[in-house]
Amino acid sequence: MSGPLRLDPDGLVACVACGLCLPHCPTYRVTGREIASPRGRIAAMRAVEAGAAPADDAFVRAIDECIQCRGCEAACPSGVPFGHLVEATRAALGPVGPWWRRAAEAVALRLLAPRHTLLVAATWVLLAAQRLRLVPARLGLPRLRAASLRPLDLPAGGSPDAWLFPGCVMDAWMRDTHRAAARVIRATGAVVARPGAGADCCGALHLHTGRIALARRLAARVVRSMPGDAPVVVDSAGCGAVMKDYGRLLGTPEAGAFAARVHDFSEWLATRPPPPVARTGRTVVVQDPCHLRHVQRAHGAVRSVLRDAYEIVETDDDGLCCGAGGLYAATRPALASAVRDRKVAAIGRAAPGAVVASANPGCTMHLRAAGLDVRHPAELLAEVLDG
Amino acid sequence: MLGTANATAEPLELALYARDAGVAEGHAVAVCWPATGAQLAAAVRVARAHGRPFVVRGSGTGLAGGATPLGDPVVIVTTRLDRILEVDARSRVAWVEPGVLNLDLSRAVRHLGLHYAPDPSSQQACTIGGNVGTNAGGPHCLAYGVTSAHVLAVEVVLPDGEVALLGGLAPDEPGYDLRGCFVGSEGTMGAATRIAVRLTPDPPEVATMLCAFASVEDAAATVSETIASGVLPAALEMMDAPITRAVEDFVGAGYPRDAQAVLLVEVDGLPAGVAEQAAQVEAIARAHGATAVRTAADEAERALLWKGRKSAFGAIARIAPDYYLHDAVVPRTRLVEVLGEIARIAAAHRLLVMNVFHAGDGNLHPLIVFDGREPGTWQRVRAAGTAILEACLDAGGVLTGEHGVGVEKRDLMPRLFGPDDLDAQARLRDAFDPDGAANPMKVLPRGSRCGELQRVPEGTWI
Ligand SMILES: Cc1cc2nc3c(=O)[nH]c(=O)nc-3n(C[C@H](O)[C@H](O)[C@H](O)COP(=O)(O)OP(=O)(O)OC[C@H]3O[C@@H](n4cnc5c(N)ncnc54)[C@H](O)[C@@H]3O)c2cc1C
Ligand code: SF4
Ligand code: SF4
Repeated sequence: MSGPLRLDPDGLVACVACGLCLPHCPTYRVTGREIASPRGRIAAMRAVEAGAAPADDAFVRAIDECIQCRGCEAACPSGVPFGHLVEATRAALGPVGPWWRRAAEAVALRLLAPRHTLLVAATWVLLAAQRLRLVPARLGLPRLRAASLRPLDLPAGGSPDAWLFPGCVMDAWMRDTHRAAARVIRATGAVVARPGAGADCCGALHLHTGRIALARRLAARVVRSMPGDAPVVVDSAGCGAVMKDYGRLLGTPEAGAFAARVHDFSEWLATRPPPPVARTGRTVVVQDPCHLRHVQRAHGAVRSVLRDAYEIVETDDDGLCCGAGGLYAATRPALASAVRDRKVAAIGRAAPGAVVASANPGCTMHLRAAGLDVRHPAELLAEVLDG
Repeated sequence: MLGTANATAEPLELALYARDAGVAEGHAVAVCWPATGAQLAAAVRVARAHGRPFVVRGSGTGLAGGATPLGDPVVIVTTRLDRILEVDARSRVAWVEPGVLNLDLSRAVRHLGLHYAPDPSSQQACTIGGNVGTNAGGPHCLAYGVTSAHVLAVEVVLPDGEVALLGGLAPDEPGYDLRGCFVGSEGTMGAATRIAVRLTPDPPEVATMLCAFASVEDAAATVSETIASGVLPAALEMMDAPITRAVEDFVGAGYPRDAQAVLLVEVDGLPAGVAEQAAQVEAIARAHGATAVRTAADEAERALLWKGRKSAFGAIARIAPDYYLHDAVVPRTRLVEVLGEIARIAAAHRLLVMNVFHAGDGNLHPLIVFDGREPGTWQRVRAAGTAILEACLDAGGVLTGEHGVGVEKRDLMPRLFGPDDLDAQARLRDAFDPDGAANPMKVLPRGSRCGELQRVPEGTWI
């Protein structure tokens, strides 16, 4: 049965409708509706694929409201490949939403993300606009700093011990995090470099919005930008998750070999002799980015690298999504903030007022916009490096 | 009263409420999501005013089609009624709304050293309201009792829209036990809107053991002998070889892939007693040829062992996409014989059957695993399913241990009850719901009332 969405039939039938994924779905948790749940979304895809239901507005909304956090996938005992099903559905549907959203996505994803210099230039403009108070606060954009935007003190290319992948938005808006990551990497004695030309963007946002062809082109460039066999260290969980999936995305052995070299920052660090850090006794609540926990399943490493310096406190929500979801917080603000309310409450129950560790720029921005003090594990470590 | 945002007749949304986790499908004319008891009562009255029946639904994890909408009803979903209203740690009682998830309740009282004891394998996803509806059981109900033993009082919206409080917090409420009547009524006597549940203190010490066996017989013999020895484990679960391998693929908890059967045994209580009982269980298992006995070293390992057991139903899709499941209870002494018979029936119908069940109380869950896309499979599944149930009943068993009758087991009720019994049950239901507006066509087959035309009813199937 391959219908209008061209989905993998085995992936679709793997769902036995048991419902065990329901509590792990952020949009189901806040709405209580099947149509906003993994089980409902799969049933809807099945119906459309089988020709039993049209791909109407209700269907598009059901798919578009999915944050693609993949909490359902980690919880599903049947191994339903939910993430790939949604990506394929979005690709079949094409760009969705009102015209202004499609236009904004086109500018961001087609024009800026693939051209990093242009993105950085646009960021300067945005920074200026922020100073002139032309950017409404409700957009939830981080406050940009000129100091953060100064060039990264890292050689490009060569044959380092480890590559640090800077990415698109993160390198424009949160370059300080890369600085911290580089300091920690060096503290372990490794020589670190940034990629040569072509590593503008990993393609994650494109893949999640159904722009698969462009995602493939960006991925191929990223693979070429970091030759050799040194590990590729990624300090954005969303980017890392997609880069680990390049083998499937590009379907070449070369991409598969590259994907095997990709590591989340904490994951890589945990394999190295620990850099000397001062024990602070300060409490840190760990927030697991979905693409670190549910997709990369590497969230344990964040705890092992922070444990020597901080008191780690867990939330009681099984890693439920915070609602950031790449562009989601911007395109679906109402749902995104309802989901965030639950996360903020869970963090409050764990340790009110504590610093929050998050290994993903999207989550960081989204949670900061709710007033939390959120830092990347690399920043927390760089702060306490001895010497 | 609900607002347009919280009720819909949109075709796609309706389609998604056509079934629960079972196989029977129906059709709803509208779905709504009340956020308060008053809104729920209003929804019942609106449905009735338009001549519609109603079906109350929690998470839709039921396996018997209990929440499947038959007779073009309005489906009333309780997921937004999800507040824990009151926790009284001293008297160990909590008042909750019906949409609170079973595991969320236990989590919310964990810091008090308490938990909600009935723990269906679906506990992360199912609602307390649904548990009340089906009188749910779970692994730990062997020692602690099923839902009914943990529900003190229920506020219900009756099928005419009136609100009544059944039961109460006193140890022995005067009058008939209407609360007991309501628990397990599968939505046919109205909808629970507030529930007072008993909270159970966490045991001071727990030992969880995984015992591996080279044959199902050895495992079953261990079960009988353990119970006969006077040890009452908190839980005693059995899984056969195919299901063990399927869950191991998902959780990676170190379940032995080469075992023909595994038992998950838990004993709890005071530390000295636990050590002694654990040793006793291990000795019995070894005497019956256990090839390995492993005790969880810490809470994390214990949780992982349980995650394996509780993922079993979902994990079978790793083998084939569809399953059909029964829930019969057979006398423990006849476990080996019935399991052998089930294997024979499956082989005769060229089907794969897997077993994962509450061995301690003989509550079987034979799962027929198949790919419904292959032509002719459904017929064979249907035939094998009926044969398996007949075999269980012939061995002195009963239809359902915990999943309820719903629509899927409805037409087998006459196999278990005579006309007088069915008539009495029908009259009890009529006392709550004279018009048959609450979850129609469930639990009791047509023809249950005396004088009603007796004929073989046309049900969904089994
Ligand atoms: C993987 C898996 C494992 C399972 N393991 C077990 C197990 O170990 N033990 C067990 O007993 N069951 C088990 N079940 C079955 C199911 O989870 C239980 O029957 C559970 O109690 C259903 O809860 P629910 O919230 O999903 O209810 P639903 O499926 O939505 O409804 C179940 C029934 O209760 C009625 N109902 C729902 N809410 C109310 C209310 N507020 N007032 C009155 N009636 C109501 C409905 O009308 C329906 O008849 C399992 C199911 C799955 C998928
Ligand atoms: S996606 Fe997986 S967990 Fe969710 S209902 Fe389907 S089989 Fe169950
Ligand atoms: S990916 Fe996340 S939001 Fe989407 S269905 Fe799965 S759990 Fe829900």
